[in-house]
Amino acid sequence: MNLFSVFDISSAGMSVEQSKLAVAASNIANSRTSKMADGTMFKPLSVSVRSTPSTYQLIAASINGVDANTLPRPQVAGIVASNAPPHLVYDPGHPDADARGFVSLPAVDPVSSMLELMNISRSYEANIRAFDITRNLIQRTIDMGKAL
Amino acid sequence: MFETASTSEVLARAIDLCALRQAVYSANIANVNVDGYRRLEVQFDAQASQAAMTASQSLFNRGAVSNSASQSGVVVATNSTVKLDEEMAAMAKNALRYQSLLGAYEQSMGLLKMAVHEGRGA
Repeated sequence: MNLFSVFDISSAGMSVEQSKLAVAASNIANSRTSKMADGTMFKPLSVSVRSTPSTYQLIAASINGVDANTLPRPQVAGIVASNAPPHLVYDPGHPDADARGFVSLPAVDPVSSMLELMNISRSYEANIRAFDITRNLIQRTIDMGKAL
Repeated sequence: MFETASTSEVLARAIDLCALRQAVYSANIANVNVDGYRRLEVQFDAQASQAAMTASQSLFNRGAVSNSASQSGVVVATNSTVKLDEEMAAMAKNALRYQSLLGAYEQSMGLLKMAVHEGRGA
């Protein structure tokens, strides 16, 4: 059992949370974007995360003993654009307003975006804490025998 | 009298198991937001109680403790999802156990040292 490979698990978790943070920040920043540079609508993005190895592979592996390298770590599988219909806001003076005076804005919900940010922050902190505890345990192990 | 070497061997296995638990809790925390992820846990209790029984049956049989406790824990997937607070609490508990086992290991090394120095200056 090698404690050093536990660092890789925690940092995989942190890097996934960082990707989610970047995507959430982009969604919030673009919540008032009426058109992209190429004229299309901005679509809210979301990150899909998968773990490798999957739990089923893991059960097979556990017969022959497990170490930290065979435990599942999360990975960003892709970034998906949502197909939610845009909000229509009445603003006739807006340059992107349609013939009836409505502007289409991306379907970014401020409340759920904030919840998402809090969730990301909590998970990131938990991964840092796990990393820190592992570091502490390794440090204690290295210091073992110094008192002798 | 117990052999100090076999005591430290059992302690080493226990420390190894704590390290595996730390890895499993870290994996659970890292995968907390993954859809369809099931919480993993280390199962050892059955093997540990079996080992304790063997040890008590042959208390003075040297080497029995280390032989029976030589199997490591098995990681299994449970049917529940990961709860972050429970996982953090379990991890803190496991870290304390790891540190106390290290302390015990150090003490058994201290006994060996005393024997090496024939009781002087230990």
